[in-house]
Amino acid sequence: MSQLSARAATRRNPFRWRPDQQWEAYLFILPSLIGFLVFVFIALVASLGISFMDWGLTGPRGVAGLDNYRELLRDPVFATTFRNTAFYIVTIVPLQLVLGLSMALALNQAIRGRDVFRVIYFLPVVTTIVAGAIVFRLLLGRNGPLADLFTALSSWLGAPFSFPDLLGSTRYSKWSVVLLTLWKNTGFTMVVYLAALQGVPKELYDAAHVDGATAWQRLRHVILPLISPTTFFLFLLQTIGAFQLFTEPFVMTRGGPAQSSMPVVHYIYDNAFLFTRMGKASAIAWFLFIFIFGFTLLQNIWQRRWVYYETE
Amino acid sequence: MARRIWFVLSVLVAALMVAAACTPVPEAPAQPAASAAPQTVTLTWAFWGSPEEAASHKMVADAFMKAHPTIKIETWNEPWSDYFTKIQALWASNDPKAVPDIAFLWPTPKYAAEGVLENLDPYIQKSGYNLDDYWGGLLESARYKGSVYGLPRDIEVNVLYYNKDLFDKAGVKYPDETWTWDDLLAAAQKLTVKDASGKVTQYALAMEGGKYSKWVNQNGGAILDDYVNPSKCLLATPNSIAAVQFFADMMNKGYAMRDADLSQAGGDQAVFQSGQAAMIIQNTSRVSSFNAAKINYDVAVVPIPKGGKRWNPAGGAAWVMSAKSDNKDAAWTFLSWLQSKDGGQRLYTERGEIFPALKSVAESPVFMTNQPPANKKGIVDEAAASGVGGFGYFPEWGELDSSIISPAMQKIWAGEADPAQALPELCKRVDQFLKDKGYPKK
Amino acid sequence: MASGGLYTALLLGSLIMLAPFVVMLIVSLWPNQAFLTRRFPLDQITLANYVETFRVIPFGRYFLNSSIVTVTVTVFQILISSLAAFAFARLRFWGRDSLFMLYLATLMIPAQVTLIPNFLIIRTLGWYDSYQALIVPALFSALSTFLLRQYYRTIPLDLDEAARMDGASSLRIWWQIIVPLSRPVMAALAVFTFQGTWNDFLWPLVVTGSEQMRTIPIGLSYFVGQYSTTWNLLMAGSVIALLPVLLIYVFAQKTFVQGITLTGMGGR
Repeated sequence: MSQLSARAATRRNPFRWRPDQQWEAYLFILPSLIGFLVFVFIALVASLGISFMDWGLTGPRGVAGLDNYRELLRDPVFATTFRNTAFYIVTIVPLQLVLGLSMALALNQAIRGRDVFRVIYFLPVVTTIVAGAIVFRLLLGRNGPLADLFTALSSWLGAPFSFPDLLGSTRYSKWSVVLLTLWKNTGFTMVVYLAALQGVPKELYDAAHVDGATAWQRLRHVILPLISPTTFFLFLLQTIGAFQLFTEPFVMTRGGPAQSSMPVVHYIYDNAFLFTRMGKASAIAWFLFIFIFGFTLLQNIWQRRWVYYETE
Repeated sequence: MARRIWFVLSVLVAALMVAAACTPVPEAPAQPAASAAPQTVTLTWAFWGSPEEAASHKMVADAFMKAHPTIKIETWNEPWSDYFTKIQALWASNDPKAVPDIAFLWPTPKYAAEGVLENLDPYIQKSGYNLDDYWGGLLESARYKGSVYGLPRDIEVNVLYYNKDLFDKAGVKYPDETWTWDDLLAAAQKLTVKDASGKVTQYALAMEGGKYSKWVNQNGGAILDDYVNPSKCLLATPNSIAAVQFFADMMNKGYAMRDADLSQAGGDQAVFQSGQAAMIIQNTSRVSSFNAAKINYDVAVVPIPKGGKRWNPAGGAAWVMSAKSDNKDAAWTFLSWLQSKDGGQRLYTERGEIFPALKSVAESPVFMTNQPPANKKGIVDEAAASGVGGFGYFPEWGELDSSIISPAMQKIWAGEADPAQALPELCKRVDQFLKDKGYPKK
Repeated sequence: MASGGLYTALLLGSLIMLAPFVVMLIVSLWPNQAFLTRRFPLDQITLANYVETFRVIPFGRYFLNSSIVTVTVTVFQILISSLAAFAFARLRFWGRDSLFMLYLATLMIPAQVTLIPNFLIIRTLGWYDSYQALIVPALFSALSTFLLRQYYRTIPLDLDEAARMDGASSLRIWWQIIVPLSRPVMAALAVFTFQGTWNDFLWPLVVTGSEQMRTIPIGLSYFVGQYSTTWNLLMAGSVIALLPVLLIYVFAQKTFVQGITLTGMGGR
C-alpha cells in the first residue's frame, strides 16, 4: 500500500532523486564536458589571464594589471566601435523580427508556389558569407549595378535623386552592413516563425473570426501572444549574434570608411592580429562578454512581462 | 550496471577515436628521411602571394637548390590577406619545427621588437655582404635599434602609368619629367569624361588613398618629425595641408576616383585595364599584367608641385630570418643568395615581378629590357628619389596608422572632412598616442 | 485567395533575395573584362572560369577536405550533443542545472576570445595542420545541446519509466526511444551544423598550414589579392562552394521545417 502510493508519487514527480543515475548521467555528458573544459573553459580562463598582461606575439612582456581596461575607457576607437555594435543591434534585431514574421505570415497561407517562395527566402542562409559579402560589395557600390538602375529610374521619373554612397560614406556604410545581414539571416527568422505558426491551433483563428475580429486584431491579440516564446528565443539569439557580428563588415567594408562600420569584434581582431596586443584584445573581449552576459540576464527577467507560456 | 557503463564508455571512446583518427593526414610533407642524405638541411621558406607569384618563388627555390645541393627548401605560402594572421600564430606557438626559417615580412621593426627575428648584423659582417647597393633609405625599413633585421627584396617605386590611347583621344600631350601639379590638373580636366546624368565614366586618375604621403613629401610636408623616434605629428603644417587638399580636390571635382569607389571597382589594375582611368599611380608590380593584357601604355615620373621635390617612399617587404631557426647558417646562405645580383634578385627581376632592391640589378640589362614600359629611366629616376617619410619605423606604427591616421584620411577622401580642419584634429590625437606610448624615447 | 498585392510583394522579395545569386552567376560566366566594362555579350559566355578555378588552386583537394571535416563534425557533434542533452533533460544528477547554465553562458562568448588559447591547445596536443584540429574543437556545441535538450523535455517521461521497468538501460532508452523520436529535430540541426562548418573561415585558417589541409572558404580568399580582386574566378569559386549546401538544403527542406517546428525554437 505504502509502496504503491510511493510509486504514484514518483510518477507525479518525474525528476526525483535517483542515485543510480548519477554515474550514468556523468558518463553521458562526459564527451561533451571534456570538450567544453578544454576548448571553452580553459581557453576562457587563459584569455582572462592574458587581459591583465602586456601580452605580445610570443608571450607576456610584463604584467599590466588593469592598464588594458583603463586604456579602453579613454580609447576613442573602442568607443566608436562599441557604438557601431549598438547600432547594429537596435537596427538588425527589430527589422529582422518584423520582416521575418511578415514573410512567415504571408507564407503560412495556402497560396500557390508557397514552397518555392520558402526555398528562395531561405537560400541566403545557407550561402557562404564570404561570397555573399563580396557580391554585396559589388552590388551596392556607387558604380555598381544597383546605382546604374537607380540613376536610370530617377532620370526616367525626372526626379533629381542621386544614389546614396552606401559603401563609401561614413553616413551609410553601417546601413549596407544591415542590408547584407538582413538578406543573409531573415530567412532563418522566417522559418522559425513558420514553425511557430504551425503550432497555433486552427480553432483559435476561427473563434476569433466568428467574433468578428479584424486581421490586425487577430494578429495582435491571438497570434502574437501565442508565439511570444519564439519571439523571445529569436530575440535573444539575434541579439547575441549582433553583438558578435564580424564577418559581414570585415569582408564587405573592412570596417571603413573611417571605422564607421567597424563592430567591436573587428577591433578585437585588429588588436590581436594586426597590433599584436593580445592583452588589450582579451580585455575588449571580456568587456564585451560581460556586457552580453548582463544583457541576457536582464532579458530573462524582463521576458516574464511579455512572454506568454501556454503550460506554465 | 558495470557492463552498461563499460558499454557507454566504449561507444564514446570509439566515437572519439574515429573522429580523431579515421582521418590521418594525407600526403603530409614527408619528414626528411634522416638516413637518405645525412648532410642535407631543410629550410622552410614562407611567403605570401597569388598562385602565379607562388610559382615564381618555387622557381627561385629550385634554382637555389640546384646551386646548393645540400640545402633543401620547403615552401609555405598563404594568400596575403591571411598570411600575417597565420605566421603570427606560428610564432606564438614557440615551436621551432613549425616556424619558417626564412620569411617574407612587413613591417620588419614590429616583428624585430617582438624578438622573433634574428639580428643579421653578425652575418653581414662575417660574410662581407654589401649593404651599399641598396637604394637610399630602403634599409631603414628593415632596421630596429640600429641593426639590420631583414633584407628588402624590392623597393616600391610609385610611378605614373598612363594609357596612351586615352591621351591621344583627348588630345593631351604625354606626361614627362617637366610636368608639375598644374600640368596634371590641366590634363585631368580634359581626360575626365562624364555622361549625360553627370556620372563620371572615365576618370583621369586612380590612386589608392593610402599613397597620399607622396604628395605630402613632394610638397615639403611630412607625417611625423622623426620616423624612428617620433615626438610629434606634422600633418597640420601648411605644406602638408596643401598637399592633402590638392589630392582631395582632385576627388571632389571628379578627376580622381574616390578611394572607396576604387576598391569597390576592384583596384587600380582593374580600372586601368578597363579604361575607366586614364592614369594610375602605383608601384611596378602592375607591369607584367599590363604587358600580358597588351595595353598601349607607358610610365613617367610623378608630377611634382612648383618648387617641390621628387620623392618616393623607401619601403618594401623584406626577407627575414627567424630567431628560432635551427639552421641559421644555411638560412643566411639562402638569404644572401636571394639578395645577390646573380641569385634571387636577378631571377625575380627577369620575370618582371619586382623592381629590385639592389641598384646594380636595376641598372643591369636584366631590368633594362625592351619590354614595355619604354620609359625605364623614369622608374630608375623615381627610385633614386627614395627616402624615409612614408611610414614610421617604430613597432607601434601599424596601430597608429590603421586605428588613427588612415580613418581620418578616409574621411577626407570620402569628401566628408575638410583637410584644414581635420588634419589639426588628427595631429592632436597622434600626439596623444605618441605620448601614451612613451615617445620620444631616450 | 491571396490578393494581387501579396503576390507582388512576394515576387519583389524573391527578386531581392535572388539578385545576388544572379549577379554571382553572371560574373562567373564571362571574362573579367566583361564585368569591369559592364558589357556581357552573349557570344563571350564561357565556362573557362570554372576550369581556371580548378587549375589555379587545388580546388578538388579543398573540396575533399571540406567534405571530410563537415560530415564528421555534423555526425559527431549531434551525437555528442544528444548524449549530453539526454542527461540534462531526462536524468537527475548533482549540479545538473548549474552545469547547464554554464553551457548556456558559453553561447555568449565571442569566438575571438578563445581563438589564441585554443590554437595553443591544439599545438600542445600535436594536432596542428591535421584533420583532428579542424574537427575535434567543433564537436562540442552548446547550441545543439540546448536545442536538443529543449525537445527531449517535451517527450513524456512515462516512456522512460515504462522502458526502465522492462529493464532497459539509459543508453538503450536514449538509442531506441529518444533518438528515433527526435530524428526530424536532428535533421534540422544537421543542416545548420553542416552549413556552419562548411562556411567556417577563421578557425581553419589558423590551424592549418599545408596546402593539403585547406578548406574551401580559405581557397576562395585566394582570389582576393593584395591589390586587386579577380571577380570572375571568385564568383565561379563561390558558386562551386555554394552547390553542396544548396543541394542538401533543397533535398532536406521538408524534414528541415518539420524539425524546426519540433524544437524549442517552435515555441513550446
